[in-house]
Amino acid sequence: MNGMHGIIFSYEKKTGLRELIEHRVHGSIPFAGDYRVVDFILSNMVNAGITDVGVIMHGKCQSMLDHLGSGKSWDLSRRNGGLTLLPAFAYAERREGAGQFRGKMEALGCVQDYLEHIRQDYVVLSDSDMVINLPLEDVLESHLRTGADMTAVCTSVLGDGSDTYFKLDDTGRITDTVRDVHTPEGYRCLNIYIISKELLLRLVEDCMAHNEYSFRGSVLQRRSGELHIRAYVWDGYAARINTILSYYQRSMELLQPSMRRELFCPDRPIFGKENDAPSSYVDPTGECVNSLISDGCDIQGTVKNSILFRGVQVEKGADVEGCILFKGTVVRQGAILRNVITDKHVTVRENGTLMGHASYPLVIARDSEV
Amino acid sequence: MKKECVAMLLAGGQGSRLYVLTGDMAKPAVPFGGKFRIIDFPLSNCTNSGIDTVGVLTQYRPLELNSYIGNGQPWELDRASGGVHILPPYQSADGASWYKGTANAIYQNIGFVDLYDPTYVAVLSGDHIYKMDYSDMLRRHKEAGAACTISVMEVPWSEASRFGIMSVDGEDRITEFAEKPKEPKSNLASMGIYIFTWSKLRRYLMEDEEDSSSENDFGKNIIPAMLGRGEVMAAYRFEGYWKDVGTLDSLWDANMDMLLPGSGLNLLDKKWPIYGRTAVCPPAFIGPASDVGNSVVARGCFIDGEVKNSVLSTGTTVGEGAVVSYSVVMPGAAIEPGARVSYAIVGENCRIGAGASVGAPPESASDPEQWGITVLGPDTVVAPGEIVPAKTMLDRHHVKEVEA
Repeated sequence: MNGMHGIIFSYEKKTGLRELIEHRVHGSIPFAGDYRVVDFILSNMVNAGITDVGVIMHGKCQSMLDHLGSGKSWDLSRRNGGLTLLPAFAYAERREGAGQFRGKMEALGCVQDYLEHIRQDYVVLSDSDMVINLPLEDVLESHLRTGADMTAVCTSVLGDGSDTYFKLDDTGRITDTVRDVHTPEGYRCLNIYIISKELLLRLVEDCMAHNEYSFRGSVLQRRSGELHIRAYVWDGYAARINTILSYYQRSMELLQPSMRRELFCPDRPIFGKENDAPSSYVDPTGECVNSLISDGCDIQGTVKNSILFRGVQVEKGADVEGCILFKGTVVRQGAILRNVITDKHVTVRENGTLMGHASYPLVIARDSEV
Repeated sequence: MKKECVAMLLAGGQGSRLYVLTGDMAKPAVPFGGKFRIIDFPLSNCTNSGIDTVGVLTQYRPLELNSYIGNGQPWELDRASGGVHILPPYQSADGASWYKGTANAIYQNIGFVDLYDPTYVAVLSGDHIYKMDYSDMLRRHKEAGAACTISVMEVPWSEASRFGIMSVDGEDRITEFAEKPKEPKSNLASMGIYIFTWSKLRRYLMEDEEDSSSENDFGKNIIPAMLGRGEVMAAYRFEGYWKDVGTLDSLWDANMDMLLPGSGLNLLDKKWPIYGRTAVCPPAFIGPASDVGNSVVARGCFIDGEVKNSVLSTGTTVGEGAVVSYSVVMPGAAIEPGARVSYAIVGENCRIGAGASVGAPPESASDPEQWGITVLGPDTVVAPGEIVPAKTMLDRHHVKEVEA
């Protein structure tokens, strides 16, 4: 069978997301008022005609399991194929004292049986912490046209030292892969790859046999000579969520219409989980400007430059500015919030004041009452 | 598999009194309250009341309704046994016929109901906005030992002559039924919501079908026949919000009621949720220059103008400097910069050009008799600067219709 198969890596990573990943993995962090981060790459895959997706999980995957369910929301609840959840049960037996996966190759090695049963000729490998709207069918087309062994998606927009960077030659072939550099240069890796099933299986087997676990180290770096690895440059919207500040900034830039148009282009819709909330209501006393408002919100106070997830209540006299309020947040009368991120079901009591700063947003952990 | 109670939802009406809005779709498919459609109310009531088998009787322009209901998943009606079934008229060995009346529609689907061998059948309308627990009504039906229970509500005496009026005895058993009486003997109005003991109803449907003079209608034929033969007919008193949205004015009113605290129609209330199919689009964006008050805003909206006392459905846009007040804007409509929309119902995917004006407030009319809400049918384009006065109706071909 031709076409692509999706593999998404969704397990714990050490990043600066503090409270936001206390109860969840990166992929299930709420984003853009109505989505989880993983919805973006999942929708990209579905929009490119992918019908089979495996999600490799490990660690705090409860919220991810809840979110994905049968995959129905992404039209991935299929009789054949569809969404397959791949928790790391076998991992504990294979490696004593099961900690985290040490790398992608190790994660893939743990689901080798699953990989062997893939029906498609090509596999898309992706992390789940990237907010992106990428035409994956174009990446595959480029992969086939160039005859590369593997195609890696990257961008010329530089990030920070924690990102991986490629050096390319004139033909677009990746000649070097570096990380933890002081001054980023070259092309920033977006951790999305296309490779044939056959080569992927060969690499996984070879790496497992040599106790090599890192995709970057063992494949991108060590095998860059023997493999023809090419870059696909994507300079559209791509936000990696790895710190509280980047989460906040990448969220807030969605208040700009041009950014929203890039991420939510009508040709490639982003599918999220359906919700039962009615439409939102703005009260006569309420004021709401320059904000993204999801369903089921009840706005009686003032909301400016903010992102409200489902079912947020802002009571009379409350004043919210520059905030991201997750599902079910209640802001009681007279409370004042500036540059605050509230996780799910946070209640801010009457007349409370919470102040963060645009350069250091204050995060309130899930279910807190402050 | 046997079910205690099956619901039959009458959704086949043309809804001719909604004029241009129902040119291409059945009345129950008309959008309501932002993200919903009218049929979401009875379907959600069924689910919330524990009824998991629903037949939806369709006849007029069923395409939109069929595709909206789909497999019933949003209402949790995609069940292994039961679930929601669309029931259009069909051809049988001895010919085919349209549904001749509400009773005939059920008659033609006796086979469907019998599949589930229910003890009771609820007959519901597809064009009412209300939240009702049918299981409580069923409890009343059983306690009264009734053949038929009709849900009723008190209406002001002055309006009683517009309704089907029930007279009751001391135990709230129905003694008399009068359709739109000139001199009403009671102010208990039928809401068009019935629960029947299936074995009884089945018999009356068969007899009614034999009678060639019958109009095959529940209100006109079945209920009077049952009363005439002395069947036990119970009234179930309903208190709460209920509105038949069969006319343009009542549809507009019901949308406005949703904005009115204390009207009894609060969709944010989580105790009795209304479910609907959610469109795939991002959250609403309320822009920096906007001014939104007392309004419902659905997902996918993009608002840069002023929106007051209005309902904006999924994916509508309001350009900079545009003003929308006391209006219902249906999915996908675009109101361009500087346009004014007032006391209007704007149909799906309409485009109102820059600086155009649609509808007018009542105080602007010199003669109150000449004032009314303005209605644009789906896909109507209003040219930039064009003025569409109050009490006007336009369809997409700009053919004006006058409200009867």
